[in-house]
Amino acid sequence: MQNIELTRQAETVNELLARYGVKFGIYKNNEFKEQLFPFDTIPRIIRKDEFAYLEKGLKQRVMALNCFIRDIYGEKKIIRDKVVPEEFVYISSGYLAPCDGVLPPRGIYTHIAGIDLVQGRNEEWYVLEDNLRVPSGASYPMIAREICRRSSPVTFETYHVEDNRYYAKLLRRAMDYVNTGGHTVILTPGRYNAAYFEHSYFAEKTGAHLVTGSELMVEDDYLYFVDYSGRREKVGAVYRRISDEYLDPMTFNEESVIGIPHIYDVYRKGHVALLNAPGNGVADDKGIYYFVPKMVRYYLGEEPILQNAPTYLPYYEEDMRYVLEHFDNLVLKDVAEAGGYGVVFADRMTAQQKADFIALLKREPRRFIAQEVIDFKDIDIVENAKRVPRKADLRAFVLMADEPIVWKSGLTRFSRDPDSFIVNSSQGGGFKDTWVLSQ
Amino acid sequence: MKTLQFHYHMEIAFSEPVHSHIYTLKCLPQTGGTQRIKKCVYRILPGGRVQEGTDSFGNRMLYGTVEEEHSLFLVDVIGTAVTDVRDPDMPQNTPDSSIYRYRTPLTQPGTRIRELLEHCRKRTADLSLHDKALVYMEAVHGSMQYCRGVTDINTTAEDALALGSGVCQDYAHILLALCREDRIPSRYVVGMLTGNGESHAWVEIYDGVRWYGLDPTNNVPVEDSHIKISHGRDYQDCSINRGVFTGQAAQRQSILVEVTENGGTSAKERNDND
Repeated sequence: MQNIELTRQAETVNELLARYGVKFGIYKNNEFKEQLFPFDTIPRIIRKDEFAYLEKGLKQRVMALNCFIRDIYGEKKIIRDKVVPEEFVYISSGYLAPCDGVLPPRGIYTHIAGIDLVQGRNEEWYVLEDNLRVPSGASYPMIAREICRRSSPVTFETYHVEDNRYYAKLLRRAMDYVNTGGHTVILTPGRYNAAYFEHSYFAEKTGAHLVTGSELMVEDDYLYFVDYSGRREKVGAVYRRISDEYLDPMTFNEESVIGIPHIYDVYRKGHVALLNAPGNGVADDKGIYYFVPKMVRYYLGEEPILQNAPTYLPYYEEDMRYVLEHFDNLVLKDVAEAGGYGVVFADRMTAQQKADFIALLKREPRRFIAQEVIDFKDIDIVENAKRVPRKADLRAFVLMADEPIVWKSGLTRFSRDPDSFIVNSSQGGGFKDTWVLSQ
Repeated sequence: MKTLQFHYHMEIAFSEPVHSHIYTLKCLPQTGGTQRIKKCVYRILPGGRVQEGTDSFGNRMLYGTVEEEHSLFLVDVIGTAVTDVRDPDMPQNTPDSSIYRYRTPLTQPGTRIRELLEHCRKRTADLSLHDKALVYMEAVHGSMQYCRGVTDINTTAEDALALGSGVCQDYAHILLALCREDRIPSRYVVGMLTGNGESHAWVEIYDGVRWYGLDPTNNVPVEDSHIKISHGRDYQDCSINRGVFTGQAAQRQSILVEVTENGGTSAKERNDND
């Protein structure tokens, strides 16, 4: 049943990935290092019916999140109706006051959403995180698939796997749908960014220009791409891979040198689309995560199909009591951190650490969420020619054009450390292809 | 009610010529609250083609790019304002006040702010929200010495209070920190004051019906001698000038504000309104 031939080709595949520059940049001790993103050939396989269920749930979730962001920067009904407490919105580091009252082209905020899921031993799927700012990672399974097909064609004759290389078409569709008239560009901070490989790969596959901030300029409330000869071309859509704070020094961080001055004013007037919309961070805040099932009910009037990992907000007294009583069984997350940082497992703390943490929790209850530790279903990887089980998650990609579309694949990340639950690539994890079976 | 003539003048002198100077100015007073702007013209030199816009706080913006080399950048705004207008039909600019209840990095309270708040609370137990804010204003005024050059635009409310001295911006940030710690919606205001001088900063608080101006530097409620230019959560949202340019130059910014009462025409204009 296993794809023996592909596993046999593991070395070839990894060599090719390295040659194509599938790397992940990390900063350690203030030094930039590029490291390979280790690929494991055993895919995560998702049955057709199981994926249909996930697809339905993911569409629903992203629709609700888009409604939420639009509401928060618009009418704020969900706050007035007391479904989400206003302090969770306004204290969130992702909430950007300059986005208030600004409606993006076609009302879309979450053009590209990366929803992190895990499967428990009970086979149930849980959403762990909604990444709505600049989620990265789709390029890795795309290129891995391409190379695997070449290295072991027989595997793909035997298994009926949905092709995943159409992601570029989906991305193009999402960009074109909101384009206000003009070129489409992918804005990168440059080659020292962790995901530079991905930026250049998407540019190649979608036909968009890959640009840095210095190649874009604003004149008379429109955005232009300036080519090497000084010629200007109007830009109608920017898939920007730089974070909100650095996008425009005239509105956000004044010190930013990688952004484009006045790009936000062009956007505010509806003369360019920015993917994803600035200000989305308010919905991918770990504190707001707790409220996503409530958003589904509130905006769509439906029962949520996908469930959250059981989560407690120490902000609510009742939840605080629960957290203190069951402290040792929980994982605590600092809502301001991302990328696997600020995550602590209570059972691994010393008595002193626990006491300190509980004091901090009582002082700043809004800063943390607590979750039950989900007993992940392990996935096998090959290590030293042996199959060994490891923790893995799945980042599913949902793109929004005239309708939400779920990519029939995803990024499966695994932890190389058998004792770790943290799969983030910035923490040294590896990745797998995700196969969605077509029959 | 008073009719005031105002002239806001800003100039930036560059030590060397600069080019590709990109700017955003928030320097235009607007009709709203208790002020009516009857006339307002601006001149930006060299300004390039100037675009107009409105930020998310409701402030008007002027922005553009100066491509050519220049060593001097001038902004003048001249107009007439009627202050202390008590007209319920005036636009109030209160789309939503909740955001002004939350602290910002510059108005984050520390032990000094909390101590001052505790001290005030002995006297504010039964007071209305508006009267509480008056007590806080008095407390800020009493805790601070006006002194230039000891703080800068990045000084937090907590640090300024610990220092015990600063300028109008610091007074305003401390008052904001106190009000917000007490869940009173309050916002930072940039504007002009009668007489000659620089731009000024004060605070507005929202009592559920309208915004009231409080000037902690002078320890007075805002009545007819203040002209408001912009508001936001703190100084950051209201900086009159933001800019980037190309060139190795030091810059020196100077501001001159002139506001005079025009007694003669005030009566006439009142008649025009009737």
